[in-house]
Amino acid sequence: MRKVTETDLPGVGVRFDLETNSGRVLGVVVHQSGRRDLVIYDSRDVDRTSESVKLSEDEGHTLGEILGGSPVLERLDDAIHRLEDLVISWIKISSKSSLAGQTLAEASLRARTGAGVVALVTDSGSIPIPGGADRLEPGDTAVLVGMPSAVKAATRLLTRATSD
Amino acid sequence: MHTGSDLLMIELGLVVLGLAIIARIARRIGLPALPMYLLAGLTLGEGGLVELPASEDFIETGAEIGVILMLLMLGLEFSPHELVVNVRRSTLAGLTDLVFNFAPGLVAGLLLGFDPIVAILLGGVTYISSSGIFAKLVADLERIGNHETPVVLGVLVIEDLAMVLYLPIVTGVLIGDSALSTAVTVAVSLGAVIAILGIAYVLGDRLSNIALSHSSEALLLTLLGITLLVAGLAGRLNLSTAVGAFIVGVALSGDIASHARGLLLPLRNLFAAVFFVFFGLQVDIRLIPDVAAVAIAIAAVSAVTKIATGWIAAERAGIGTPGRVRTGAALIAHGEFSIVIAELGIAREDDLGALAATYVIVLTIVGALLYQFSDTMTSVSLNMRSRTP
Repeated sequence: MRKVTETDLPGVGVRFDLETNSGRVLGVVVHQSGRRDLVIYDSRDVDRTSESVKLSEDEGHTLGEILGGSPVLERLDDAIHRLEDLVISWIKISSKSSLAGQTLAEASLRARTGAGVVALVTDSGSIPIPGGADRLEPGDTAVLVGMPSAVKAATRLLTRATSD
Repeated sequence: MHTGSDLLMIELGLVVLGLAIIARIARRIGLPALPMYLLAGLTLGEGGLVELPASEDFIETGAEIGVILMLLMLGLEFSPHELVVNVRRSTLAGLTDLVFNFAPGLVAGLLLGFDPIVAILLGGVTYISSSGIFAKLVADLERIGNHETPVVLGVLVIEDLAMVLYLPIVTGVLIGDSALSTAVTVAVSLGAVIAILGIAYVLGDRLSNIALSHSSEALLLTLLGITLLVAGLAGRLNLSTAVGAFIVGVALSGDIASHARGLLLPLRNLFAAVFFVFFGLQVDIRLIPDVAAVAIAIAAVSAVTKIATGWIAAERAGIGTPGRVRTGAALIAHGEFSIVIAELGIAREDDLGALAATYVIVLTIVGALLYQFSDTMTSVSLNMRSRTP
């Protein structure tokens, strides 16, 4: 499987190495300034940089997305291909929502609106396919899937105060 | 109207223009500019082609600011946390480095009949590799991703930290007159350094936030003011001014450190160049022929011991043969701090200046070339070995 190692570069930043199944080693140097170097190592002397490409922070993000992005995105991509009538929507959970802070089981969005939560994206990472015990924390993002009307109803519940 | 200040400007203008030409040549031929700045300084001043009567005082002050800025920038590269982590990880490599590379200078100094303290200074000169030259080479050659690079950086960080303990000790010994007063000065200064580093470790983030400003002008003035003040106070207390500046750099971390690096870099480049010229000015170039053979012999020993240090450290980190050679070669160049150390003893021993200047010029050029071409040399020798049946 994947072998990623992390090495500190004092005064410079951090280096990540990935050894591929085919035996080549790739590295990414993340500088303190935000610059990234994409490094390809020599196949004969694996410690030696044979090619090094400087990337700005933005270019790094773009390359990351092209190469595969997060597991959540890949999963969603897949879903979009198979279920073309459905809508997928990324909704930031508002602190005003009456559902804020509730678990998915308590909120029972699917029963109330017909839209399902397929992922929760938090500051610390993402929860793909969350379970009933995962919470709708204000500020996190819920990824909703369903028919357009169902997603619209769920969006309303997650973004507005429900007293109206 | 002719005044002293006209002459001062003319002399300074010519010196700085001369340095500019040197920097361009160095860039063109792919060598560090430092040894050439030293050479330029040697040809001027005492025993040289031209004396600089009007600007020598100014250059001397500029040189002191240069040392302070070099140490400040070095400190800014590291956060207190990074230093602690790195010391734990690279202790063994650091000890090998100390034993292998302090000894040649110390022994040579004693054999040459220098004062013991001057021999200790010469040990410092041979011990410390140039982190400045390595940083420049590694960026120019795009080797920051190489697997041996963290090994080199680890050794260099330990050396820089060792300097922080070494400088107050030798400064104390040079100033103290009796054994007792020397011991007291050294103990007090070491205690102060450790206390200040401790405070920086605990309060660094808060101090950094207080000093942070969105105006780069205000930030630059704040930083310079704090650094000069702390360095000056440290000097007053018989600590070294350089160590005071280093500690300010370490204490500042996070956002302020990255802004500060950008703001201070041009100033550092100017005043560091002035420092190397000033060092050259103080050395009488006529002494060089007498010490050249000894300097080259010590340089040859250092090249071997530094390669051995790098080889051992890299081997422990699981690096292959070509990488081990690169690690060793990277450590050969001696530069700014060898000169800072030699500067301390120049008043005690005339030969030390000439010796250190020659030593640094030789090793910097040899080290830069070896690091650049070590791959070619290793692959040639590996190919030859694999071809022999």
